[in-house]
Amino acid sequence: MCLAQQGHPLTGTWSGDWGTTATKRTPITLVLNWDGKNVTGLMNPGPDAIPISSVFVDVSTWTVRIEAETKDSSGKPVPIRAEGKLEDLGSYHRTLTGSWQQGAAKGDFKLTRD
Amino acid sequence: MKRSAALGILLVTAISAQHTATYDNDRKVTLKGAVTRMDWVNPRSYFFVDVRDSAGTTANWAVEFGNPLELEKAGWKANSLKIGDVVSVEGIPARGPANQALALSVVLASTGKKLFVGAPQQRRAAVPAQPVPRWPDGRVRLGPPLGKKGYWGAASTPALLENTGAKIPMNSEGILANLADAGRIAPFLPWAKAVYEYRQRTLLKDDPISRCIPPGGPRQFQMPNGFQFIEQRDLGRILVLLGGSDRNWRIIYTDGRAQGEPDEVVRGYYGNSVGHWEGDTLVVDSIGFNEKFWLSAGGLPHTEALHLVEHISRPDFNTLKYEVTVDDPRAYTRKWNGGWTVQWVPDQEIQEYFCEENAESTFVR
Repeated sequence: MCLAQQGHPLTGTWSGDWGTTATKRTPITLVLNWDGKNVTGLMNPGPDAIPISSVFVDVSTWTVRIEAETKDSSGKPVPIRAEGKLEDLGSYHRTLTGSWQQGAAKGDFKLTRD
Repeated sequence: MKRSAALGILLVTAISAQHTATYDNDRKVTLKGAVTRMDWVNPRSYFFVDVRDSAGTTANWAVEFGNPLELEKAGWKANSLKIGDVVSVEGIPARGPANQALALSVVLASTGKKLFVGAPQQRRAAVPAQPVPRWPDGRVRLGPPLGKKGYWGAASTPALLENTGAKIPMNSEGILANLADAGRIAPFLPWAKAVYEYRQRTLLKDDPISRCIPPGGPRQFQMPNGFQFIEQRDLGRILVLLGGSDRNWRIIYTDGRAQGEPDEVVRGYYGNSVGHWEGDTLVVDSIGFNEKFWLSAGGLPHTEALHLVEHISRPDFNTLKYEVTVDDPRAYTRKWNGGWTVQWVPDQEIQEYFCEENAESTFVR
């Protein structure tokens, strides 16, 4: 039996992947927190963590837009923009799925709340 | 959004929450067959009956028919229905494919006698007016007088809502008659209102109570099986023993300790509670809540920032007055107040109740 978090639906740790094809996938972990005004968080916490610059949530549709910026191997900034929809809001293992753009690469993502 | 009218049938109203999510009030089912098993267990009793359809196929149905404590109060016993008895049942079927129904009427085929429903509930005679019980030093007792029994039973409202004087129709589970009233329940932040409306629209299907999660926060004082206070004055604490959930308890420290720091307290369902007396009123300050429960029936959300201040008093022997200030700036636009009264159940003890008792019988959860 899982004990669901019943507060802000985005709060918590989310794991999954994104990719440009069904087989070319990159694991991602998001740690999100609602501070009363904004959803803040980190992508891939650890030494190479990527701070999330903004999270926009439309609660009328539970669509979510996440923006961050990482760096490529040369240190050049690479913007990340993900747009998705929160599904199964009341479930512990609610999901966030949608489109993912990282630099010029476009694909999809699926995250499940741990 | 209009909802099905609340069912006014005695048996149905005696049953605890989560029925709207479990049963489809828009359908009815008639079952006839022999009883194969009886589960007379708290909180929900079931009997099982073999029902043969027109094609000759037999299916075993689980029929939920009430809370045994309430049924016993109304004069029924576990052996009022025996294995092998043939019954005719009118009921509400479960949502989905399960052979499960909530009984609206049960009739014994051999005699035509109605079972479990229709009997006038034995209304307890009003308890004579008597003084509020007090300790030798004059402080109000929140429990029974010395040498007596009793506990706190039914709350005057099914769910927490802001004290504005507005009458907002809802059923016994806290489901609003009109979803447009959601904004009048509490001063929600937009996300919290959206979550509340989602829970209402989905008929509270994700209610943690239905998964035997403790009823944290104000909800502990609105549970169908009541509660009682154990005042351990020598230990500087008051225990709140819950008749519902899994017979767990909350501790209110009255030894004068200061409230903890929000970032340091261990988060739990009942929070870190420190209390003191202001005249005849127990004032309890609580922080340190987790986010695993609903603040109230009906689906009020909260966050870990929740801070509750409760005022608990006993204006007369038979009445407990509960008032709460909800302060959660991450879920609500401002502090707000709610409250209700709770009636004393004299001369009785809280009965054994384990939420998980029904796990085997309840197919739809």
